[in-house]
Amino acid sequence: MGSLTQPLAVLGALVRVSLMTGMQYRANFLADVATGAIRTLSTLGPVLLVYSRTDTIAGWTLPEALLVLALYLLMEGFVGGVIEPNLSMVVEGVREGSLDLILLRPADAQLMISLRTVAPSRLWDLVGGVIVGGWALATLPSLPTPIDVGVAAVLMLSGVAAVYGLWILAICLSFWFVRVDNLRFVLWSAFDTGMWPIPVFQGWIRAVLTYLVPVAVMTSFPAMAITGRWSPALVAQGLAIGVAFLGISRWTWRRALASYTSASS
Amino acid sequence: MTPAPDRLGTTLVRIGRALPELARVSVSRHVAYRAELTLWILTSLLPLVMLAVWSTVTEQAVIAGYGQTEVARYFVATLIVRQLTGAWVVWELGFLIRSGRLNTELLRPFPPLVVQATWMITALPFRLAVLSPIVAALVWWRPDLLAFPGWTALGLTAVSLALAWALNFLVQVCFGMLAFWFDRSDGLFELWTSLWFLLSGYVAPMAFFPDAWRGWLDWLPFRATLGTPVELLGGFSDPSRVGLDLFRQAAWVVVAFVLARVLWTRGLARYGAFGS
Repeated sequence: MGSLTQPLAVLGALVRVSLMTGMQYRANFLADVATGAIRTLSTLGPVLLVYSRTDTIAGWTLPEALLVLALYLLMEGFVGGVIEPNLSMVVEGVREGSLDLILLRPADAQLMISLRTVAPSRLWDLVGGVIVGGWALATLPSLPTPIDVGVAAVLMLSGVAAVYGLWILAICLSFWFVRVDNLRFVLWSAFDTGMWPIPVFQGWIRAVLTYLVPVAVMTSFPAMAITGRWSPALVAQGLAIGVAFLGISRWTWRRALASYTSASS
Repeated sequence: MTPAPDRLGTTLVRIGRALPELARVSVSRHVAYRAELTLWILTSLLPLVMLAVWSTVTEQAVIAGYGQTEVARYFVATLIVRQLTGAWVVWELGFLIRSGRLNTELLRPFPPLVVQATWMITALPFRLAVLSPIVAALVWWRPDLLAFPGWTALGLTAVSLALAWALNFLVQVCFGMLAFWFDRSDGLFELWTSLWFLLSGYVAPMAFFPDAWRGWLDWLPFRATLGTPVELLGGFSDPSRVGLDLFRQAAWVVVAFVLARVLWTRGLARYGAFGS
């Protein structure tokens, strides 16, 4: 098996198994799906309320803000559906020593801990993101050009990488400080800022949301690209942040593993 | 499990005797988990996000009497009131019931909720202490947001805060007790929270909602848990309607208390049947 196809095969197997686990408890699954749908709907509320009182905020019209919201929902679906459930499993694993079982397997441990489980209820955020995104595109005065869409896709991927890197960094903390459960709630509430266009925030808060908790790269940057408001500098900035977070998180993960002393041994 | 009326007095005396010790234990618990408590408080900074959003909007025009200063004052009040009315009993109850640890709690000579309430009330000073640097920074940024609402308003705010705290606590108790019947009651509370976010005054002052909605929004329990004390503290409430607002809060507290009592009696009967 080639070195490139092996991670992909592992990835496919992990996604299949975790979906099956999620649907095993049927009543739970259905309840989760129902509450997820309502939660997704309720994120529309604040945006619509703001735009019932004004036409633009910080120069962004409603369709443009809806684009940001769509990207925010996609990010929520990704973080809540894939990243967060896995993070809590690692924190558990470090505390109980069950992480050893993963580390012994002949596949990359970071890949394994990143995709062990998915939360199906968060699928609604993805569905909601697609619907809101479609609504935004339909109400925009003009359709985006293929180049704009391409740039947006690149920036979005970079944003996903950055957000993923941030959560891996948070996971790594659990190797040194066992109690980091609460950190994820802090991260979640910081992510709530991602549903608003980034120019709403000023000064150092904007810098924090771009470089430190890079939600802006995931939500506002691609939205700017789709509406044709991108510049090569913006793309370079977005890419640099994504690459930096991936690199730093990979490096920290290795350091953290090296210092991991199993709780069971 | 329902205590006979003649024994209610004895229970109250027992609670009164145990209260100082309970409070002492709760405070040491908060001191022990101070980092955790601080992180929790940092998760409730959404009012600052909404402050940034509405501040941008009110730059262009005053909305329903709210300019930038008023918006700042409103959301700083929201930040404070949110901390002073917070509880987490829904998670605690769910955990106690699911794990069976409620058994130990039931052995105490007074209702388990007294312990929970003491634990959560003693967190309030800590919450204020953590919040104070943030509020100080906000006042430094915008000194005009400080406005003394007057002693009467301050007194009424205290009453309203107490009612809002009680309502929040009791609503959480009701949702927490659903764990007697459902394995996953947390999801239902999440539904309540989604509605609460939108309709309590947390993401926008109630005055920003369309006028047609106000009539029924004011009668829902959401505003009673947050919006009413925030408006009093920030000096936004209409003096002629304060009485009605406080009455609505009190009425919801009574409703939630009765509901909690019914759920407790029924749930406990069911729990006993399963546990023995």
